[in-house]
Amino acid sequence: MRAGPSQEDIRRHNLGALLRHVHLGGPTSRAELTSKMGLNRSTIMALTSDLTAAGLVREELPRETGRAGRPSLVVRPESSRVYVFAFDVGPDRLAVARVGLGGVILDRRESVRRRGAFELDELTGALAGFARQMRRKTRADTVCVGAAAAVSGGVRKADGVVTFGPNLKAEEVPFGEELGRKLGLGLPVSVGNDANLAALAEHSRGVGVAVRDFIYLHGDVGIGGGIIAGGQLLGGHEGYGGEVGHMVVNPGGRACGCGSHGCLEAEVGERALLEAAGRFGAGQQGRDAVRAVVEAADRGDIVAQEALSRTGEWLGLGVANLVNIFNPEMVIFGGMLREIYLGSAAQVRTQLTLHAMAPQREQVRLRTSALGDSATLVGAAELAFAHVLADPLEVLARANG
Amino acid sequence: MTPLLEVRGIDKSFGPVKVLHNVEFSAYAGEVTALVGDNGAGKSTLVKCIGGIYPIDGGEIFFDGKPVQIHTPRDAGELGIEIVYQDLALCDNLDIVQNMFLGRERKSGLLLDEDSMEELAEKTLSSLSVRTVKSIRQQVSSLSGGQRQTVAIAKAVLWNSKVVILDEPTAALGVAQTAQVLELVRRLADTGLAVVLISHNMNDVFAVSDRIAALYLGRMAAQVKTSDLTHAQVVELITAGRSGELGLKNGVTP
Repeated sequence: MRAGPSQEDIRRHNLGALLRHVHLGGPTSRAELTSKMGLNRSTIMALTSDLTAAGLVREELPRETGRAGRPSLVVRPESSRVYVFAFDVGPDRLAVARVGLGGVILDRRESVRRRGAFELDELTGALAGFARQMRRKTRADTVCVGAAAAVSGGVRKADGVVTFGPNLKAEEVPFGEELGRKLGLGLPVSVGNDANLAALAEHSRGVGVAVRDFIYLHGDVGIGGGIIAGGQLLGGHEGYGGEVGHMVVNPGGRACGCGSHGCLEAEVGERALLEAAGRFGAGQQGRDAVRAVVEAADRGDIVAQEALSRTGEWLGLGVANLVNIFNPEMVIFGGMLREIYLGSAAQVRTQLTLHAMAPQREQVRLRTSALGDSATLVGAAELAFAHVLADPLEVLARANG
Repeated sequence: MTPLLEVRGIDKSFGPVKVLHNVEFSAYAGEVTALVGDNGAGKSTLVKCIGGIYPIDGGEIFFDGKPVQIHTPRDAGELGIEIVYQDLALCDNLDIVQNMFLGRERKSGLLLDEDSMEELAEKTLSSLSVRTVKSIRQQVSSLSGGQRQTVAIAKAVLWNSKVVILDEPTAALGVAQTAQVLELVRRLADTGLAVVLISHNMNDVFAVSDRIAALYLGRMAAQVKTSDLTHAQVVELITAGRSGELGLKNGVTP
């Protein structure tokens, strides 16, 4: 048994903490870092010079301070030099982004995915191809320090295998392993559930910054969720936690892709909305079809209005249950749920008023995602940066060969 | 919590027609208060009384707990009350910066201080996370309805305003633009402003408001937290002035 953290552990921790401040908060002066981290000025100086030497940050004189005295140096993340690859595999979309330290999307590629069988080989090949294209365009002094993917399905925490994904038609797929091999960068690819990662993204850079307890609901073909409790993502025993889309709101209701009936996803998902609006199988699908229904409802199409308000009622019921159980400070609607919430807020709030208990209900704030369609990619990038922030120098040394 | 803006017992008549009867209304910092009511209920009149366009016949106005007199729009502006009207009052032939500073231009010596105005306009738009306009030197005539609304709102926020009143900001907009404007309205309140939203659209009201104030034939039927109301109750308050325990009794404020 060890007595406590060693000198080396503390240094590693402080380096990571400083880098995290700059990564999430943007350019920060040494003086601000001193007060935020509660460390001594000379310690901050030693830490920044270590990080500067490693090429993770650089220090500059601020442009204007407007205050008297010698200005404190500003520490900036080396966004254009240190980057990760973020992947997003949704039912209708494949996206890859090259994201610099500090969360800047430097470059991105996107393509449409046709709904159908999950062809691991073809899919990872396409994603790795995009990554290679972007990598070829980078300067010689840039360094890739990680890669991670957001997948619309359940991901086992232990090994990153996509165990189920009814909307991707994936089952027991060693996705991260295969993508890592195709990338050929010698980097492991971390894998996470898309809604979980989007929740983390909203927590670190979106509307949920400074909110310690919130629920993020992500609408795509189905409904995913990410629960942030006490500032941490609620993963559950094996990492499958937060599947709020499969909460049963209507026993004996519509059949769900998971095999059950009356799940929130079955009542609120894309198919339910399109069928209720009489538009299922009419050629359009995905986000465009959902937008078309909201638009039609706004223009006065009674069938579309009915469909939207019915969807809003089920959504509100689901939110009421979540509010009662988790007492969140905020509920965030992302993906296609942004449009659905804004188009049926009267029904959503009504169900909340009727079914959620007063103390929980009065404080909860309902918000739409601040990151929009980038939320899942930003979340994947944060996952890829996680190990850099845990041990900056070691990871960089490894990446530099 | 003290309301940032509070009016008590406001009366207003136009000749023989009494438009506002003893109206009470409060707006709180950091919250969106939706002001709803049927056509002719007195929403716009109430707002114009607060904005100093119509003189009030009776009643008191409190700002941050202190009684104030508002006789002209300038008085309202000095308190930090800005109103964005339905017709927006933007000049088509001027660009975004010129519109935002119209009538309140910054000068350096005899010349206009274009740089500092540009910088401040840019800062205001980015503080509201407005990313839809390409250039702030674009003429307003080239902007879409949603973008115009955004510029009008940004113009209101520019003057360190504390209360922003929006008259039907989404009325003439498509779905995508409405969504952007609603998110902007919410962000205004989340940055600490007191926002008053006049709207006929129940979804807009429920999507962003913290409180709902319903006017019925010139009387304030109810002011209730949105989290305690259902859609049907709000519709009843608007159309009948009452809903169950809420609202007017025998046509008058209880």
